Amino acid sequence: MFAEYLTRGVKAGLVAGLVFGLFMAVVANPLVAYADELNHAAVEESGHSHEAESAHSHDSEGTHSHDSEETHSHDSEETHSHDSEETHSHDSGDSHAGEGGGHHDSAVSMAVTKAVSVAAGGLWGVVLGGAFFGVAFFFLEPAIPAPDAAKSYLMGLAGFVTVSGAPWLVLPPVAPGAEQSLSAATRLPLYAGMMLAGALACLSAGYAYTRLRESSGPVPAVIGAAVPFALLAVLAVFAPENAVHGALSPTLETGLTGLFAFGQVLLWLVLAAAHARFRPSSESESESAIPTAGRDSAPMAD
Amino acid sequence: MATANTVNGRIERARTELSPTQMAAGALFIAALGFTLLFVQDPLVHDSLHNFRHAAGIACH
Repeated sequence: MFAEYLTRGVKAGLVAGLVFGLFMAVVANPLVAYADELNHAAVEESGHSHEAESAHSHDSEGTHSHDSEETHSHDSEETHSHDSEETHSHDSGDSHAGEGGGHHDSAVSMAVTKAVSVAAGGLWGVVLGGAFFGVAFFFLEPAIPAPDAAKSYLMGLAGFVTVSGAPWLVLPPVAPGAEQSLSAATRLPLYAGMMLAGALACLSAGYAYTRLRESSGPVPAVIGAAVPFALLAVLAVFAPENAVHGALSPTLETGLTGLFAFGQVLLWLVLAAAHARFRPSSESESESAIPTAGRDSAPMAD
Repeated sequence: MATANTVNGRIERARTELSPTQMAAGALFIAALGFTLLFVQDPLVHDSLHNFRHAAGIACH
């Protein structure tokens, strides 16, 4: 039985991974590359006073990769950043502009980054599907307060809140190239801590809902379930603030943040819909209870 | 199969279905995976995931 649940979770993960990998390839990859390019154009234009900010990337790479980068990064990177950088790149050194044009402080080429990112997008779906819809769903299914297929959607909601929603209350997705006031060493534990808080909020909301529904009816149950999420929001208010500022226009940054958030929402929605659809037929006596949302996203499975 | 359909029942069920070796192997595998994801900060891996990390909303610059 455990193996069946795990298989079903991973299958849903494959479907979602396919969709998210596609999203990576056709939406996120070109946009991140473009945003990086804009950032570097802005930084280069503002003169070399930026050296202090991005010294960690440019100084280290500018020196040792001069001869090797100059030759082959020329055709791929230089073409699209040509107009903005041509003016001063030739006197200050080609490797500086050639690298900076496409990609920010990177150890690998943009092509590798793109390919690996698409693969990671696919695996991201599989990992989340296996962990949440395989393992966690096996244990929690009896406690999820919903009719059969709707359990998958509640699991998807809880998964989103845990992995992305709760941490994003403190550290929302940032546009490429933006500077953040908190260091990575502070942000990683903060992100992990908010994930834990999100998971606890979801579990206690489910518990409160089930208990209150038995004792006092549906309305107090819904209110009781909302309390943990309110506490989560309060917690986020008291978390250290991460000021973000980048060279991109605020509108574009908002749009990118929204797009990345939308990508994760889409991922969880596809996961839940696929998982609901892969329900073994023996369990689905109440077939009519399957929400139509499950049907809507079914073609994505193909 | 006398286990009730509760969370405790599911835990009981997993305990009877999986051998201790399977459980140990699974736990070890997950620990290894988690360890890798957390500590592979090698620039090569980290940087090639740059676009993905932005799309997933987990950005560290």
